[in-house]
Formats: sequence, structure tokens, C-alpha cells
Amino acid sequence: MPRFHFDISEDDHFTRDDDGREFEDVNAARREAVETGASIARDSFIAGKVEHVVINVREEDAPLLKISITLEVEDTAHATC
Amino acid sequence: MPSDAIRAALLRRLQTYAAISEEDTRDILALPVTVKKYPAEAAVISDGQRSTECCLVVDGFCVRSKTIADGKRQILSIHIPGEIPDLMSLFLHVMDHDLSTLTPCTLGFISHDALTRLHHRRPNVAEIFWRDTLIDAAMFREWIVNVGQRPGPARLAHVMAELRARLKVIGRVDGNSFEMPLTQEQIGEALGITAVHVNRVAKQLREDGIVELQRGRASVLDEAKFRELSDFDSRYLHQSPTS
Repeated sequence: MPRFHFDISEDDHFTRDDDGREFEDVNAARREAVETGASIARDSFIAGKVEHVVINVREEDAPLLKISITLEVEDTAHATC
Repeated sequence: MPSDAIRAALLRRLQTYAAISEEDTRDILALPVTVKKYPAEAAVISDGQRSTECCLVVDGFCVRSKTIADGKRQILSIHIPGEIPDLMSLFLHVMDHDLSTLTPCTLGFISHDALTRLHHRRPNVAEIFWRDTLIDAAMFREWIVNVGQRPGPARLAHVMAELRARLKVIGRVDGNSFEMPLTQEQIGEALGITAVHVNRVAKQLREDGIVELQRGRASVLDEAKFRELSDFDSRYLHQSPTS
């Protein structure tokens, strides 16, 4: 099974995944990355610490996927029409 | 393993949770137990199966879990030596979840008939076992709160803190460290997050100097920080006969 690495950025805090993890195929790695991004974003957004979560998936050193999740909060009470 | 040691594991656990008389102790120690060895990650009894015996964990770690239609598994509880994870099968005969081993295990099987006879003969023992299943339910309540409300790091720390409190009762906590023989995938299944998220959380907890997970052991690095993060109050474990 191919080995995928999931490097995670929460705003400017970067965590490199040196160990990696085996998944059946690219689709399985993609599912893991999306779910991980959503799950980390949930924790960090609620804590109010982070507004941008990025997961970079690579196979060895070859980039494969970038999953990017951004929190956007707009104050609509004072918006001009 | 001598047969006394097998029942002693059960007795030690029950004594922690309830006062047991000498006569009751004698009858518990006389329970017929069939001992079997299981490899790691093996099914003991599966969802939908009819059960005719209860399983005592003599050595090793087990988990109870449930798998949904798309194949994802939720681990519901972790079980340590001295526990009977499927005690409810005495009354609920068809399993509504899976019981499987986490590590290689020595398991003791006690027939429902033998347990029922013991309960009829010794109502106090029946009450002790009843109490045991109530504590089991209290642990599930806490598990739901944990998975539903706490963010990743606190969620992991809480599961660790509970495991430590239970291992302590059976003398299996060594200074600041204790066994937590789960892979990151299995921790993810317990916490309802992905293995990659578990990896991230574990790294953060280590970098923050709170707790370290390595090769199936957890080591608490800073007790005060660990307590604060885990938000763990052992009251729901009712680890004393009077609590």
C-alpha cells in the first residue's frame, strides 16, 4: 500500500508528518485529509485560535493534494447595502 | 496461570467497588471458568450473535465497538483485566455490539447458567454484579460527554485519565506511566477523529509537555497540566464501595 504524508498548517503553525501512513489508494488518503482538516478546523475555529487550516498531502516528497479550510465571519449587522 | 489467579482478578475488581462477604467470596472463587487465549484484534463475540457465557478479561486489553453501514467503527469502551465487558449478556442474550481483543488476551468464560445459579444462591453477589453494570453505564455516559463535547486534546487526555484511574486499581500504573496499547487508528476510533488528527493531537500534547504516547504506553509529563486538560473527575467510576 502506498504511504502518504499529511503536513498540517494551522495559520502559521506548521506540523510536518515525517512518519506518514499507509492507505489503499489516493481516494482513501483524500478522504482522510478532508475529514482530518474538517475535524482540526472544528476544534481550532471553536477555540478561536485559528482561521485557516491547510492539509498538504504528499507521497514521499511528491505533492499530491492541498486541502484548505478557512473561517470567514462577517459582521452583517453593520454592513452597508 | 493458576486458576485461583484467574478468579482473583475478578474478585479484586469487585472488592474495589463493593464490600463482599467471606461466603460470597468463596462462591465467586468457585465459579467454573474456561480459559482461552486470543491473539490481538480478534473477535470474542460479535454484534448479533447469541451469547451463552460471560467473558472475564484475565490478561490483556479488550474493546467494545459498533460498526456503521459504511464500515467505520466506533470504539465504545476499553477493558482491562478483572472486568467482564459483556456482563449484560446474562440478561440481554443477543449481542448489540462487538467485543474484541486489542492485545493478545487470556480470557475466562463463565456460563450464564453458572452465574444465574450463583445469583440465586447469593443475592449479595447479584447486587454486586448489578452495581458493576451500572458503573459500566456511568462510563458510557461519560464517554458520550467526552466524544460529544471536548475538543481533540482534552478528549484524548480524558480517555487516558480514565484508563489510568482504572489501571491503578489493579496495580498497573508504574510511576507516571501506564499501558495504553492502542494504535493511532484505534485511538481515532475511540475518539471519533481520524488517525491523522490523533497524530497531530499526540504531537501537540508532547510538545506542550503534558503527556507522551509511545509504543503503547502513556507517560504523564506534567501532572497538573494533564489534570487541567483532561477535566477528569473519577466520581463516575464509583471506585469505593460507599461511593
